[in-house]
Amino acid sequence: MLSPALKGPLLRGIRSLASRKMYIFAMVAVPLGVTLFFLTLMGEGLPLRTPVGIVDLDHSQMSRQVTRALNAGELLEIRHDYESYGDAMEAVRRGDIFGFFVIPHDFQRDAIGGDTPTLSFCTNMTYFVPGTLSFKGFKTVAVTTAGSVVKTTLVGTGMADDTAQSLLQPVVPQVNPIGNPWTNYNIYLTNSFMPALLQLMIMLVTIYSISFEIKEGTSVEWLADARGSIIRALLGKLLPQTAVFLAVGMCILGMLFGFAHFPLHGSVWAMALAMALLVVASQAMGLFFVSILPNPRLALSVASLTGILTFSIAAFSFPVESMYGPVAIFSYILPVRYYFLIYVNEALNGVALYYSRYYFAALLVFPLVASTMLWRLKRACMKPVYVP
Amino acid sequence: MNGITKWFIQLGKAFRQEMSTVIHDAGVLLFFIGLPVLYPLVYTAIYNPEEVREIPFAVVDHCRSAESRRLVRQADATSAMKLYDYAPDMQSARALMAEGKVYGIMEIPSDYSKCIMTGRQATVPFYAEMSLLLRYRAFLSALTDLQLHITQEVTAGRLASAGAAAPPISGLPINTQANILGDTQQGFASFIMPGIVVLILQQSMVLGICLIGGTAAERRRRNAPLAYSSDMASHGPMATILGKALCYVVFYIPVTIYILHYIPTWFDLPHIGNPADYLLLMLPFLLASAFFGIMLGNLMRQREDAFIYIVFTSVVFLFLSGLTWPRFAMPGLWHALAGAIPATWGVEGFIRINSNGATLAESSEPFLWLWGLAAAYLAACYAIARITARGRRANRSH
Repeated sequence: MLSPALKGPLLRGIRSLASRKMYIFAMVAVPLGVTLFFLTLMGEGLPLRTPVGIVDLDHSQMSRQVTRALNAGELLEIRHDYESYGDAMEAVRRGDIFGFFVIPHDFQRDAIGGDTPTLSFCTNMTYFVPGTLSFKGFKTVAVTTAGSVVKTTLVGTGMADDTAQSLLQPVVPQVNPIGNPWTNYNIYLTNSFMPALLQLMIMLVTIYSISFEIKEGTSVEWLADARGSIIRALLGKLLPQTAVFLAVGMCILGMLFGFAHFPLHGSVWAMALAMALLVVASQAMGLFFVSILPNPRLALSVASLTGILTFSIAAFSFPVESMYGPVAIFSYILPVRYYFLIYVNEALNGVALYYSRYYFAALLVFPLVASTMLWRLKRACMKPVYVP
Repeated sequence: MNGITKWFIQLGKAFRQEMSTVIHDAGVLLFFIGLPVLYPLVYTAIYNPEEVREIPFAVVDHCRSAESRRLVRQADATSAMKLYDYAPDMQSARALMAEGKVYGIMEIPSDYSKCIMTGRQATVPFYAEMSLLLRYRAFLSALTDLQLHITQEVTAGRLASAGAAAPPISGLPINTQANILGDTQQGFASFIMPGIVVLILQQSMVLGICLIGGTAAERRRRNAPLAYSSDMASHGPMATILGKALCYVVFYIPVTIYILHYIPTWFDLPHIGNPADYLLLMLPFLLASAFFGIMLGNLMRQREDAFIYIVFTSVVFLFLSGLTWPRFAMPGLWHALAGAIPATWGVEGFIRINSNGATLAESSEPFLWLWGLAAAYLAACYAIARITARGRRANRSH
């Protein structure tokens, strides 16, 4: 049963959590609220119907066919037919459209007459996702238009339909995206950004709650309550937080894999275990920072810096093997990096747990590392000095 | 001395007082200078490689012919793909993928060479690992280019052998030409940095102002009810708010020039805008950010609260800015909320000017929105100042 030596510190920990609404905001409202934000923001999965324009200088039957083909796909939506290249370019700069397709003068005549006209398109890559998607939409239509013209010509010369098709595309690479066949951005981003945000909030709350004792000068009393043991004092303070964050973490998993039906090809228990280890490892990371720098502002600054850079350096979008070596190593000091690798293995790809063994082990290292610095924290708690 | 002169003297006093607060607070200086100076450097260090190259893939070759080996060699020769190894079957290829050794598997069917030789269409499945969309995209575009290349090669040969009935074409009778605007190299840093630096300006300023706000709240609690020396009362709220905002904006002028001009220049990011255009755009942006920060600063009870309340919003504001998920695809509520954040319009306006070479006139929508937000947040700050001043006076008289 609960030892009386731990009961005091635990009660104190719970009381201090309940003392300010800020804790509820940071521990419950932010993680769950932002999860909901991500899920609803990217509810469509892919941003469809990118606004684009067309510059039709030909106004022929064939150019109208191309326009219809552009509008028929789900990627593009033609917002306007511009008179000239310059007008369309200005619309891009204003941000009305993300790209446009140009059909040159005498396009139909040249295409049929074998004069090789050029279909061109411009995409604005300053916005990556709509840029990429409109590029894809334009390119598909440009290539299929070209293809259908040749095919018509070839079939006209007496060639069989499928022979003509194989002439146009002798080899077709059929790319199959495993695990996320819809290239759904919601699945891709929410699964990595949410745990990273949780890691940030856990580190901040851990540091805030511990260093506040030093700031207020109550750390001596805090230690005395725990009969002089920094471990008991920390257990009392952090275990209630662990419980809250575990519940919030499981809620997030429920929202992602249950409510939003994100792919979960492996075991749900593996993900739950990974989430639990992420919570504890993030607390350990916060504890480590505050032990090294027992000053609230400095420790919180370092945790914020780490927490925000995590979104980039944990390689959720830009792969770690493409980064410069000295930058890439920082990826491996972040708890959420290991959570992410477990997620990729267990939820997205559904491979055997065996392949994630090192990642689970790595998450266990964080508490061990943090425990080596507790003596510093204890020293700071016994002689609290607050530097604003 | 008439009222207007007095008001300007009060404004000047508020400005001086705030400048002294900022300069004497190491924490604020870290946010106002350290953060905007260092973050862009760190971010470019992370993203500067720009492109994803040489992604390892495995091959399961059921055909084992000269043609299939040629296909693999051509795939290996692309800049995006690198052959890791041949695998005897799909199961062992998937094991390689599970171990993280390869991110794609090419499975060449047993009739591949037969199809090529007899003029039938050959389909080659490629399985892409989807943890990072950037890798998938690199594979996809490399394979599409490869397909076009093979098409030209094979089709030319086949047409020649099919007899001269076919039109004399090398490939297709219609050329297609793709023009990439803005981020012409399609590099990752070139895309993300111009947006991120603007967000850094807003967030570092808001953090600093909230740190000041929290410190002031602590001081008020310590001093109350002994001495009621609220600066709001001595100067009048409007002069105080404007004086403070002016102080922050003046402080941010060199930082803004550094982050918007020198960072793109040093790191070879897109930078074709006219400085007069984007610096003018930054004026309402900095003002709106300052008022936004002063408004939020009222919520802080402790000096360190800024970390809890503000840091995580960077992630939310990044998404609201439309840099990752475009604004036209946002649900109504988030679209409207995004419109209320200065960084959304700052990012939009700056990217158009900086990467697309738009003029300020062409960026009039963000420009006007920023002035509107500045006015709205100023009004909110004024209202809050009036209400809290009344509350404090009432407390004192009890």
